[in-house]
Amino acid sequence: MAEDARATPAVDERSVPFFEAAERGVLALQRCGDCGTFLHPVRGRCTSCAGTAIEWVEASGRGHVFAHGRLRRSYLPEHEGKLPLTLVLVELDERVRFASRLAMGEDAAVRTGDRLAVVFERLDDGTPVPVFRREAAR
Amino acid sequence: MGSNHSLSGRTAISGLGMTELGRVYGRTATDFAVEAVVRALADAGLAKSELDGLLLNAGISQGIDLSLAQAIGLPALSLQTQMNGFGSTAGQMVGYAAMAVSAGLAKHVACVFADAPLVPGERAGRAYGGGRTGRRGMSSILPALGFAGPIPYYALLAQRHMDLYGTTQDQLGAVALSSRAWARRNPLATMREPLDLAGYHASPWITEPFHVLDCCLVSNGAICVIVSSAESARDLARPPVYVRGAAQAHQLEWDDTVPSLAQRSSRAAFEMAGCAPSDITLCQIYDCYTFTVVTTLEDYGFCKRGEGGPFAASGALAEGGALPTNTGGGMLSGYYMWGMTPISEAVIQARGDGGARQVDRTDLIAVSGNGGIFNYHATLVLSPHAR
Repeated sequence: MAEDARATPAVDERSVPFFEAAERGVLALQRCGDCGTFLHPVRGRCTSCAGTAIEWVEASGRGHVFAHGRLRRSYLPEHEGKLPLTLVLVELDERVRFASRLAMGEDAAVRTGDRLAVVFERLDDGTPVPVFRREAAR
Repeated sequence: MGSNHSLSGRTAISGLGMTELGRVYGRTATDFAVEAVVRALADAGLAKSELDGLLLNAGISQGIDLSLAQAIGLPALSLQTQMNGFGSTAGQMVGYAAMAVSAGLAKHVACVFADAPLVPGERAGRAYGGGRTGRRGMSSILPALGFAGPIPYYALLAQRHMDLYGTTQDQLGAVALSSRAWARRNPLATMREPLDLAGYHASPWITEPFHVLDCCLVSNGAICVIVSSAESARDLARPPVYVRGAAQAHQLEWDDTVPSLAQRSSRAAFEMAGCAPSDITLCQIYDCYTFTVVTTLEDYGFCKRGEGGPFAASGALAEGGALPTNTGGGMLSGYYMWGMTPISEAVIQARGDGGARQVDRTDLIAVSGNGGIFNYHATLVLSPHAR
């Protein structure tokens, strides 16, 4: 099909630090240097104090399941043979909400509130992306 | 009951124009929009030259823009703009039109939605949720992760509602069944074959907990309403449908711990109308998904938080129920004209034009519009009575 282009990520100027950190297996987020608010997605000004002293920092990579569901139909060729995927909205401990999915092979039975931790997987084009596993019991 | 608000009951919907709706091919969104405006003018008994305001909203296909005035032939508008609050736009347009007419800035304002995303041989889901939208930056990883289009977000929030409140799949299905039962009596509705709970469960999964029958249709067509002053509407061809309340509310993202946008919007609209939720006799809810009906019933105060599912499954939304809802089949089984689907059905019912689906109690009709991922909301209270 002519439409079979993959949904390949496109790095832009502002997101370079995120993708560079992902290459190192690190989840990076923007943080306001003035008031400490974490920002996601990428912003040019703090959404809390309107400050411009935005810095990139290593995030905890930990959070809990705000919501979850299972992707059963997709029009994207990269999902062929991989469905269902367990999608999650993760409320990171930095108080930002992150849309992602469980890592491949992770047991799909999650509940709202379950603790998760980030791991990285590579998309078909090699782009490393943050996905989540259950947080190891401590 | 009674309102002291200066806007309540001052304006009315005087005209309604609807084109053929659904898998209707061979016409552009502009063609549909022109037809809807012309039909609304004829319905109201207004000459084209009397129309001095035009608000427009393009749908998925973004097929209409400000050049619509040229296509209709409206040489002397005193008010015109293109608006977008996604599913909340139509309610917002009526609200802004009511404000403009009340303030004397225009006499008759047409509010039109038009869309033509469906092409022959292509599935509605592809027209709607393709996902290759030219994103850049961090959000460009979302489609590959599984978040293409709005369905996954709403499905996940529905699952959260199920986890927190015990809402069941059968209760979501009850919303789909109720809409279908109403649609069967609406000759314009797209989905008119019978549906039972087994048929609902058997329909394909899209993103769990949503079956395809939890998701609205995609439709081609256009709907226009004309807002006029109450006085002038009384002299026009059809019974006025008064704008008793109009409000909006917006939020950055879904948050269970604060009053939701739909709570805030409905409270403001009900306050303007001088009514309580218990005074509402008929409801037209923006049903992009079965789940949005469940949450809107809760947010509007028709039942408590977490009880929207049992409320829907009780039969309340059906003919003879406590709160007949989406009496034209909504967007789940009727047609997907964004916020114009619920508004047009409210006008039809308020006028007594519902035919086989006409309900008895139309005194106060609540109409909702929801856009984004619960980001943008508009509420109207419409009535056949000025006060």
